[in-house]
Amino acid sequence: MPASASDVLKSAAAIAKGMGITFKELMSPTITENYPDEPPKFQERYRGVHVLQRDENGLEKCVACFLCAAACPSNCIYIEAADNTDAVRFSGAERYAKVYNIDYNRCIFCGYCVEACPTDAITHGHGFEVAGYNTSTLIYRKEQMLVPLPPKP
Amino acid sequence: MSKLVRLEIDGKPVEVPAGTLVINAAKTVGIEIPAFCYYDGLTLQGACRMCLVEVEKSPKLVTACTLAAAEGMVVRTQTPQVVQARKAMLEFLLTNHPLDCPVCDKGGECELQDLTFRYGLGESRFLETKVHVPEKQWSAVVYYDAPRCILCYRCVRICKEGMGVSALAVVSRAVDSEIAPNMGDHLYCDECGMCIDICPVGALTSQDYRYQTRPWEMKHVGTICTHCADGCTTTLGVYNNRVIRGNNHDRTGLNGEFLCVKGRYAHDFIAHSERLKCPLMRVDGKLVEVSWSQALAEVAARFGGIRSRGGKFGVIGSTRTTNEENWYLQKFAREGLGTGNIDHHRSGDVISLLSALKGRADALAATSDLYERKAALVIGSDLAQQHPLVAFQLRANWRHHESHIYTVTRGPVREDAYSRLRVRAEAGRELAAAKSLRQALQAEPELLILFGDCVRGAAVHELVEFGDSLGIPVRYICLVDYVNSRGAMDMGLTPGLLPGYQPAAAPGLDLAGMLAAADLDALWVVGANPLKNAALAAERAFVVVQDLFLTETAARADIVLPAACAYEKTGTVTNVCGEVQRLSRAVTTMGAKPDLEIFRSLAARMGLDLGEPETDRVYAEMRRQLPVPAAGEAARGVVASAGDTLFTSGTLGRYCGVLRNVREAPGGLYQ
Ligand code: SF4
Ligand code: SF4
Ligand code: SF4
Ligand code: SF4
Ligand code: SF4
Ligand code: FES
Repeated sequence: MPASASDVLKSAAAIAKGMGITFKELMSPTITENYPDEPPKFQERYRGVHVLQRDENGLEKCVACFLCAAACPSNCIYIEAADNTDAVRFSGAERYAKVYNIDYNRCIFCGYCVEACPTDAITHGHGFEVAGYNTSTLIYRKEQMLVPLPPKP
Repeated sequence: MSKLVRLEIDGKPVEVPAGTLVINAAKTVGIEIPAFCYYDGLTLQGACRMCLVEVEKSPKLVTACTLAAAEGMVVRTQTPQVVQARKAMLEFLLTNHPLDCPVCDKGGECELQDLTFRYGLGESRFLETKVHVPEKQWSAVVYYDAPRCILCYRCVRICKEGMGVSALAVVSRAVDSEIAPNMGDHLYCDECGMCIDICPVGALTSQDYRYQTRPWEMKHVGTICTHCADGCTTTLGVYNNRVIRGNNHDRTGLNGEFLCVKGRYAHDFIAHSERLKCPLMRVDGKLVEVSWSQALAEVAARFGGIRSRGGKFGVIGSTRTTNEENWYLQKFAREGLGTGNIDHHRSGDVISLLSALKGRADALAATSDLYERKAALVIGSDLAQQHPLVAFQLRANWRHHESHIYTVTRGPVREDAYSRLRVRAEAGRELAAAKSLRQALQAEPELLILFGDCVRGAAVHELVEFGDSLGIPVRYICLVDYVNSRGAMDMGLTPGLLPGYQPAAAPGLDLAGMLAAADLDALWVVGANPLKNAALAAERAFVVVQDLFLTETAARADIVLPAACAYEKTGTVTNVCGEVQRLSRAVTTMGAKPDLEIFRSLAARMGLDLGEPETDRVYAEMRRQLPVPAAGEAARGVVASAGDTLFTSGTLGRYCGVLRNVREAPGGLYQ
């Protein structure tokens, strides 16, 4: 059965509509991430590798209260505390974390530690490239998570 | 039994003996009345007002901690007025209290935290800046943080009443009030840490636990203190295979919450940098590190050689190893090496006491007698220094039951302050002096006699005769030095007696005899340091030493085997009153082995089958029939206490930083 003129018109209209969307998207900015060629973008509240914060004086905010370790459901935070002396001061309070490890083999990025922290010392950063061939490299030490000191002016 | 009274608390009928405080009466029916200053066994203070309750017919709220229950009393603990009063009290206590919980050592086990959580308001109406005072260090052990103090006077009372020291007091007024130490800016005291332990908040903290970890992070292991012979249970807080603190806040054991400085803080020897962790062998005159198998093979070969040519062995045991180890060592010596030359450092004449008692088991006192008997006679011991728990219990007995204490010592002791009669006697004349108390003692309904190393041999028999002649029930405690001094004797580490004080077929040399024997072929020293003040006559003897540290004796050894301490093993130990208690393993030190394991490996290498330690059987025998060693047995060997004070503890004390750092160290007896 030969196609009627109206069928032809309908098809042409459908193609034009479809191509219209294609051209519109072609012109609008892309939302596909170019990872790994370009760094990915994150939502503000994305829960990635933890960051240990410093206060306005550059001192560590963590006071080694162990509350994050207590809150952690996968028991992956390990802390050793020590007291600050007048000569060597790490945190603003009496105590600081001499050792602070998070085992990323076990962390489930639930954010409970961040909730628990009374000093807002631990936060989630946006780091997510925590894969490795050797599980021992997934135990992050304090130095790997601590915000770097700003360069001395 | 005193008269019972009936009262009503929150609608529940309660029946308690007259004189019971309402706060305790409420506990019997499961009603909690929150309290800070009230503490069982101490005088009443009524300082914190946290325990306010409503009592019918009383116009105002009453403190339940000072109110004795009376017939027909109607008490209410849950009315809106009481709830409001608690909120107000907590708000008031927190006026200047810092928001320190995250860093405060008490956080997680703080009574103020707990009660605020349960009864508090949740917020404060005080907006003013909090008064802040910097923290102070009072001694090598004690720190005080004034803003956290709630002035409950518990520390003041435990120090004065419990310890008999009175080193703490409250100074200043109103918001400036705080606790002050006896020396103005520092403490001079027993350093027992009882004040720190009893403090309901984190105002008093210890050097040892300070900022180390948090209570819930630790594993809590209840074991027996390894220092003196009193046998306190100390609950060690372990984090990451390290002992962080000792306390006994849960009141398990025969010491309740009491611990002296040694049980609470003197555990740092475990991780001391000079701890031996590898066997040492003498090569070309110098001790060099070797493997365990090499060291054990050498000992087994040399011991085997000396045994097969009929050589002369000497074995010196320890007062700190377990009963099982002591049993095994004496069996090893007697059967494996075929020698009767075995002894240890004896610090009290238990043998003479047993032989004088002739099987009367009820004449041996238990630790509970110290708190319960109506009178006690102390001969030749500075209890507060040498036997802190015994002193604490006698003091509690005097405070609570007005018991009569008599002291016969060669110098001033703390017990003088509350003893009924005190006699000074030159060293060696103590027994004669004690006899001069006959008249007073005869008037007592019952008596407990504690005697130190000055009463030994025939004098012990004389003492027991004197006790018998009083015509009242008398019980005895022979004071010995270390954690298992008593067990070493019970388990036959003596030349003439087998385990359970059974006579040995072939009695050997005593400790002094072994050191003096020029023809000794081998000396095996387990956990002792006999060469500290003596020389070994046999210059060519093959010496094997098992110890924690390179002591004077170990330095002379041909082979040194690193041993585990009491906190690193299991087994049983026997205290000064003969009570057998179990050790639990808290930590492990890599490289060191428990002595029992060392004995077993040696036995296996020498092809000996010594069986399992039979300590349970020995003690069951002793309980069935108290052994009576022959009167002459005690003469084999020397009895002399090491005279340790609160701040020394034989070899271990030398490696305890805490004991060496306190101002009072090394202190002295009878001062
Ligand atoms: S995110 Fe969750 S699992 Fe990971 S460390 Fe924090 S509390 Fe533990
Ligand atoms: S990160 Fe926060 S919660 Fe964890 S120990 Fe430090 S201060 Fe405490
Ligand atoms: S004493 Fe108790 S309430 Fe006060 S800071 Fe310490 S833990 Fe918190
Ligand atoms: S230091 Fe502790 S025990 Fe002493 S009064 Fe203050 S809160 Fe009470
Ligand atoms: S009294 Fe003796 S057993 Fe008790 S804690 Fe002190 S040293 Fe240890
Ligand atoms: S407990 Fe009653 S006033 Fe403190």
